[in-house]
Amino acid sequence: MSSEIIEQALFALLTVGIIGAAAGVVFLNRITGAALLMAFTFFCMAGMFLLLGAETIAAFQVLIYVGAITVLILYGVMFTPQGDRDYRLFFQTQTPWAALFVVPIAIFVFVTALFAFRDSGNAGALGSDLGPLATSVFRDYAFPFEVASVLLLAAMIGAIVLVKRDED
Amino acid sequence: MTIPVGAFIGVSAVLFFLGVAGVLIRRNAVVILMCVELMLNATNLALVAFSRRAGLPDERGSVFVVFIFVIAAAEVAVGLAIVLAAYRNRPTVDVDEVHAMKG
Repeated sequence: MSSEIIEQALFALLTVGIIGAAAGVVFLNRITGAALLMAFTFFCMAGMFLLLGAETIAAFQVLIYVGAITVLILYGVMFTPQGDRDYRLFFQTQTPWAALFVVPIAIFVFVTALFAFRDSGNAGALGSDLGPLATSVFRDYAFPFEVASVLLLAAMIGAIVLVKRDED
Repeated sequence: MTIPVGAFIGVSAVLFFLGVAGVLIRRNAVVILMCVELMLNATNLALVAFSRRAGLPDERGSVFVVFIFVIAAAEVAVGLAIVLAAYRNRPTVDVDEVHAMKG
């Protein structure tokens, strides 16, 4: 019984961390702060994966998102310095229209998600996820996995070509 | 198994729509990239929740999470390269001011 209470408390804490930090990313006017809050969102998401019993995905999440992607974004912030601006200039002129369309759809999807899956999908996790994940990746999805690595190579070459200076 | 899968999907939906709102209302191109990452991460949570709670012997949903990791890394690398190339051309990351190719 006490482990259930701890689980629920952890879930509530991680939810507050994820939603609060993501709202900070959207509404904060300091871009470095937004990048660090994004890293915090990813870290809390790793906790969420642990809560679901997906330890391998949680480890990947910390390595790739909290490590690599946050560093990339921080480099992007450092390479594009901006002067101080009025806070209202951080938002597009289409903000009211965007809110008008996003908020009703968001509420609909949220309510649907919360109630549609109330009684389903509680079959329970089957221990660690490393074995099944490795089986799936390297047997059933071996070819898409290789295609994904080619995609990464293409993205790397594309990024180098895009930012290369024309010296000659 | 005390937390229903709907709660995870609800958190995922809220995070996804925060990302959508960020992409739609922010002007800074780097922040727009961050919000795209938030949306991809929300999708990851939904996939892992369904994958773990469906009771399947294999982890099909988590495989797609691995693919999304790859796509996200590629997307942020190419996206930042485009932002840096545009910034070198004109020193701004405001997407409203980058309109050289606008018809």
